[in-house]
Amino acid sequence: MLKVRAAQTHPNPLQINLECGPGELHALVGPSGSGKTTVLRTIAGLSNPYSGKIECNEEVWFSADELSATKIILPPAERSCGFLFQQYALFPHLSALENVCIPLHNSELSVGDRKNIAKQWLVRMGIGELGDRMPHQLSGGQQQRVALARALTRQPKVLLLDEPFSAIDAPTRQGLYKTLADLRKDLDIPILMVTHDLHEADLLADRITVIDQGMGLQTAVPQVLFQKPRNARVAELVGINNMFNGIFNSGKLSWDNSNQIFDVIDKGKIPPNTPVAWVIPADGLSLQEQSSTTSILATVLQISTLGQIAVIQLQLNNGLHTITWQASAAEVKRLSLKVNSTANIEIDSSKIHIMPLRPINDPRRFSN
Amino acid sequence: MGVSQYNQNMDTDAILLSLKLALWTLALILPFGIWAAHSLIKLGKSRPWIEAALALPLVLPPTVLGYYLLVGLGGKEFLGIPLVFSFTGILIASLIVNLPFAIQPIQRAFESINPEIREAAQVSGLSNWQIFRLIELPLAWRGITSAAVLTFAHTLGEFGVILMVGGAIPGETKTVSIAIYDKVQSFDTAGAGALSLLLLGISLVAIALSYGVFGRNPRTQGMRSN
Repeated sequence: MLKVRAAQTHPNPLQINLECGPGELHALVGPSGSGKTTVLRTIAGLSNPYSGKIECNEEVWFSADELSATKIILPPAERSCGFLFQQYALFPHLSALENVCIPLHNSELSVGDRKNIAKQWLVRMGIGELGDRMPHQLSGGQQQRVALARALTRQPKVLLLDEPFSAIDAPTRQGLYKTLADLRKDLDIPILMVTHDLHEADLLADRITVIDQGMGLQTAVPQVLFQKPRNARVAELVGINNMFNGIFNSGKLSWDNSNQIFDVIDKGKIPPNTPVAWVIPADGLSLQEQSSTTSILATVLQISTLGQIAVIQLQLNNGLHTITWQASAAEVKRLSLKVNSTANIEIDSSKIHIMPLRPINDPRRFSN
Repeated sequence: MGVSQYNQNMDTDAILLSLKLALWTLALILPFGIWAAHSLIKLGKSRPWIEAALALPLVLPPTVLGYYLLVGLGGKEFLGIPLVFSFTGILIASLIVNLPFAIQPIQRAFESINPEIREAAQVSGLSNWQIFRLIELPLAWRGITSAAVLTFAHTLGEFGVILMVGGAIPGETKTVSIAIYDKVQSFDTAGAGALSLLLLGISLVAIALSYGVFGRNPRTQGMRSN
C-alpha cells in the first residue's frame, strides 16, 4: 500500500492526500500544469515537499512535519520506484538491453544473470529481438517498452507512469493498453498513472484523483467521479457537459433563470437557500415524442454525428440554457430530430447531483 | 626542399619539449577540467563569477598573464625546482592558460545532458558516482575529446606566456613556437617554415579528428539541444 500526504506552497503549490493499494491502477488527471507530474516526482524522491509523509508497505520514504525537527528523506535510489518518464529518458549511449540492465547494476547477480533478466523483460514487453538496438534506432512505441522494462527490472514496490500514452500513435497505444493490463494483473504493486486523457483514465484506472493547481480535489472510482463530482470545478475538469447553477432549499432545487423546480435528495449538508452547481448525467436525460407535465420544451440547435453516435445540442425555450444529449443515430432517426425541430426533454430528478460551487476545503463554499 | 633538408631544419629538441609540455598539460588539466565542469553546472549564484574568472585567460593578452605569473612565481620553488625559467614554470603557465579550453567544452557537454536522463539513473538505483561514471561521462565524451584536442593544439602553439615565464632555454623552455620565433629572428626562414608547417599539420589533424571522428558519435543522439 502506498500512502502519500504532501504539502508545499512553493515553487509550485501542492496539497495531496492519496492511497494506492497493491494491484490498483490509480490515475491522476488534471489540466496541464496542475501538478500531476509533481506528485509522481515527489513519490520518487526527485523533489521533496515542505511537509508530509510518504510510505510504502510500512516503509517511510519521506517524513517532514512543521512541528517536528526530525526529517526522513530517502534518496530516489533507495525508494524502489519504477518511473516511466514522459519522454522515456533512455540512456542514449546504451543499447536497449544495457538500458534494462542498469537498474540491476548494484545487485549481487553476475553480469550474465543480469543480462538474462533484462532479456526476459524485453521478451515480456514483446521486443526481445531488439536488445542490441540503440535507443535512436527504435520507434517511439519500442522506446517506451524499453523504458517500461527498465522501470520494472528492479522489481519496484511502486510503478509511476508519467503520461505513458501521450507520445505514441493510436494503434501502438492499443497494444500498450494490453501490456499495461497484463502487467497490472501480474505485478500486484500500486501503479500511479498521470494522464490528461479522461477517456484513458476511465478505461484503465480503478480510481481517479482529480488535481487542479496542485490540489487533490476528489478521489473516486471513475463511475462515481463522472456522475457525482464533488464540486463545480471537478465537474468542469472531468468534462461534464450538462452543468448548471441553481438555488437549493430543503430538498427543492430551483434552476436559475427558469421556473423549473426539481425534488432532489441531499445528505443534509447544504444550508437553506444556497447557490449550488448541479449536473445531470447522460442516463438521467431522455427525449420524448409527446410532451408531458414534467417535460421541458427545447429546440434542436445542432446535431453532430460521429459514426453511430450523435451529439445533440438543445436550447431550452427560455433561450438561456443549452443541454447536450448523446444518443445513437437510430434514436435520432426515430425521434425525427432535425435542426430547429422541437423536442421534449425529460430530466430524471433522482439522477441530479448537486454540489458546492467552490472546492470542498474552501471555507466559502456554501456562502452566498 | 627535400626530406633530408626538411629534417635538418627541424628543431627536434623543441618538438619533443612541446610534445612533453602538451602531454603533461593534458594529463593534469583533463581530470581537473572534468571535475570543474561537473561542479560548475551545479553551482548557483556564484557560477557567473567563477566562470568569468576561468575564462580570463581567453581575453587577457598573453603578455599580461605572463607578467603576473612571472611576478607571482618569480623566486619561488617547488620541490627545489624554480617556478620561472624552468619546465615546471611553463607547465604551470600552460595549465592556467588552457583552463577555458579544457573546461568550457566539457561544461557544455554536461549541460546538454537532459536532466531526465540523470533522474532516470537516480530512480534506477545508481549512486551519484555511478551516474557520473556510467551515464554522464560517456555522454560528455565528445566534449572531453574537444577539450583534449583544443588544449593539445593550443599548448603546442602557445607563445607569449611561455616566453614571459620560461624564456627560451633550449631543451627546458624553448618550445616549437619560440623556436620558430628564434629562427625568424636569425633569418632561418627554411627552419621557421618547416616547424610552422609541422604545427599547422598537427593542428589541422587534431581538429579534423575532433570534428570528423567524434562528431559522428551516435552517443550524441537524444541529447538536449541548446
